[in-house]
Amino acid sequence: MTDPVAVLSSVEKSYRMDAVTVPVLHGIDVLIRPALFTVVLGPSGSGKTTMLNLVGCIDRPEKGEVTVAGQAVNRLSDDELADFRAANIGFVFQNFNLIPVLDTFENVEYPLVLAGMAPERRRRRVSKLLELVGLADRAKNLPGQLSGGQRQRVAIARALARRPKLVIADEPTANLDTQTGAAIIALMRRMQERYRISFIFSSHDRTLINAADDLIILRDGAIQSIQRKKSSEADSAEPPAARVEDDE
Amino acid sequence: MTLQLALRNLLRNRRRSLATLLALAIGSSAILMFGGYAANIRYSMLSSYVRSGGHLQIQYRDFFLYGSGNPTAYGIPQYENVLESIRRDEGLSKLVVVATPTLQFGGIAGNYEAGVSRTVAGTGYVAADVNLMRRWNEFRIPLDSPPFPLEGAPRDAAIVGVGVARVLLLCEQLAVNDCPKPERDAGSGGAKLPADIAALAMSETAPARGASPPAGKARIELLASHGRGTPNVAALRVIAAESQGFKELDDIAVILQLEQAQQLVYGRAAPRATSIMVQLQRTSQIPEATRRLEPLLASLSSTRPLSVLDFETLNPFYVQTIQLFDTIFGFIFALIGGIVLFTVGNTMTAAVVERTVEIGTVRAIGVRQAGIRRLFIAEGFLIGCAGSLVGAVLALVTAFVVNRLELTWLPPGSTEPLPLSLMIWSETRMIVGTTVGLIAIAVASAWWPAYRAARLTIVDALRHV
Repeated sequence: MTDPVAVLSSVEKSYRMDAVTVPVLHGIDVLIRPALFTVVLGPSGSGKTTMLNLVGCIDRPEKGEVTVAGQAVNRLSDDELADFRAANIGFVFQNFNLIPVLDTFENVEYPLVLAGMAPERRRRRVSKLLELVGLADRAKNLPGQLSGGQRQRVAIARALARRPKLVIADEPTANLDTQTGAAIIALMRRMQERYRISFIFSSHDRTLINAADDLIILRDGAIQSIQRKKSSEADSAEPPAARVEDDE
Repeated sequence: MTLQLALRNLLRNRRRSLATLLALAIGSSAILMFGGYAANIRYSMLSSYVRSGGHLQIQYRDFFLYGSGNPTAYGIPQYENVLESIRRDEGLSKLVVVATPTLQFGGIAGNYEAGVSRTVAGTGYVAADVNLMRRWNEFRIPLDSPPFPLEGAPRDAAIVGVGVARVLLLCEQLAVNDCPKPERDAGSGGAKLPADIAALAMSETAPARGASPPAGKARIELLASHGRGTPNVAALRVIAAESQGFKELDDIAVILQLEQAQQLVYGRAAPRATSIMVQLQRTSQIPEATRRLEPLLASLSSTRPLSVLDFETLNPFYVQTIQLFDTIFGFIFALIGGIVLFTVGNTMTAAVVERTVEIGTVRAIGVRQAGIRRLFIAEGFLIGCAGSLVGAVLALVTAFVVNRLELTWLPPGSTEPLPLSLMIWSETRMIVGTTVGLIAIAVASAWWPAYRAARLTIVDALRHV
C-alpha cells in the first residue's frame, strides 16, 4: 500500500466560546488513503469541518499528531505551514471564495504567481485547467459575472493549479442546485482520476456520498466508523508520483 | 501582483477610496499652499533686506552690538582699500554684484521754520550703488522697487521717512498722502532758525556754503555729534519722503548722500564708513563669499578686526519670522498628518473587516502573513501616492490662479502692502517633502490594520460573516 496522504493520531481539538471551552474532537485516529475520494460525514457539530481544517493545515490540534503528505505539520512555523499548504493542499470552499477583483484566469493563476512560476508556463497551465473545467471562454469574466456552478469550477481549477497532493472541499455542493452539484462532483472525480489527487470532502450530499471511495463517519467528535468502499489495491495501481504532467 | 491587487481592491469600493483620497488631497494641498505662502513671505522679506542692506556687511567686530551710537569709534578708516581688495579678488568679484560703503549715525532733525524737531537715524549711501542693489531680484518677487531718488541729486539732498516728514510738517511740500494736519498746529509757534545753528549749518554744508537752502522747498537741519564730540549741523534739501516699510523706521529715517553724511560726522577728518554692504549674485553664495572675505579682511586690518555679518544676523526679525512660519507649517503638517493617519487607518480597517473571508482564503491558499501585510500596506501606499499627487496638482493650480489675481496683503507692523502670492512650484523640496511625508503617514496608518489582518486566524477568517 502507498503512504497515506494524511494521518491524524490521537488528535484533540476544542474551541473557546466566550468563557467556555467546547471540545470538538476527542482524540481521533484517522488514516486517509491517497488518490481517493474521501467523504467525512456526520451531523452538525460532529467535528467534520474541524477535522478538515486540521488535515488542510489551517488549524492546529491541541494534542496528537497530524501528518500530511508525509510531513508532521504540528511543529511547522506559520510561514512554513503557509508554504506547505501552497505546495501540497488545494481548497474548494462552500461559498467558492474566489477573489472578486481577479478574473477567472487570474484566480486560477494566483497560486502559481505565489509559487513564482514563469509567466508563459503559468499561462499554459491555467489555459489547460480552464479548458478541463469547461471555462476557457470565461477566462476574462470576473467572479460576479459567473453562475454558482461556474464559480465552483474556477475554484476547482484554482485548487488544482499547483498540482497538490490533497484537495480539501468543505461542502462544495451545498450552495448549488442538485444538477449543478452533480456536475461539480463529476468534474472533481474526473480531475481526481486525471491527476491522481486525494479529495477530502465534508458533505451531506447524497450524490457525493455515493461517489465516495472512503466514508468517515463522525459523531460527537469521535470516529463512529470508517467505510473503505474501494479496495486498497486500487490506490496502488498508479502512484501519485505518476501524476500527469501533460497540461503545460 | 501585490500592487495590481491593491489597486483593484481600492477601485472595488470607489466611493470610500475617493473620500479617503480627497481627504488626503485637500490636506496635501492645504499644507503646500501654506508652505507656498510662507515661502513667499520668506523670499519677500529676504529680497527686501538684501536690496536695502546686501547679503553681507563688513563692519568692525563690535559695531553691530555696541557701535551704532558711536560711528566715530567704529568707523572703518580707509574703507576704499577694502572695496578695492574685493574688486581685485578674482573669486569674490564673480560673486559680488555691489560692494558699497554706508555710514550710520544718530542725530536730531529739525524743521526750525515750523518749530519742530525729532531724533533720527541717519544713513549715508552711495546713491548709484543703492539703485543697483534695488534691482536685485533672485526670487522674482513682484516687489515694487522705485528708483532711489538720491542718484543724480545734489550733495545736500536728503530723503526722509514718511513718519519724519509727518512729524516735521513737511507733508505738503513732499506730497505725502495720508498725512492729516494735526489739530494743534505745532508749527505755528515756530521760530526762525537760531543764528548760531544756521551759521554752523552753513559752514558744514559745502555746496550750500554761503547761501541758504532755496525757500519754499522742504528743508531740514540735521544735527549730529561730530567726531571730536562737538555738534555739527547740515542744512538739507528734502527731495522725497519714502516709506521704509515699518512705521518705526518711517518715523526716524533720514537718508543722505554718503559724502554729506561723512562731512557731518567726521568734518574735515578722513572720511569713514560704518559698514560695507556686499550684495551677491545669489543668496546661496553667502558661505563661499564669507570664506573668501574673512582672510582678506584679516590682512587689511591690523588694529581692530573687521567682521562679516550676514543679513540674518543683522535682521533678527527675519529669522524670528521664518522660525514662526516654520513652526506654524510644522503644526499644520502634524494636524493634517493626524487627520490623514486616522482617515487612511479607518479606510484600511473597514477594508480588512470587509475582506476577512478573502484574507482567510488567500492565507489558506498559501499566502504568508507578510504577504497580507504587504497587500494592505500597498493599498495605503497607493492611496497615499494618489492623494498626495492630486493635492500637489490642486495646490499648483490654486497657486497659479491666486498669483494671477495680483492680491496684496499688509504684514503686521508694515506700512506697505506686499504682493500675496503662493510660491509652490519653485519649492521642490517642500513639494517632495510633503508628498513623501504624507505617503509615509498613509503607509504607517495602513500598517496596524495590515498587521491585524495578517494575524487573523485562518479558520476564524473563513467563518466570518
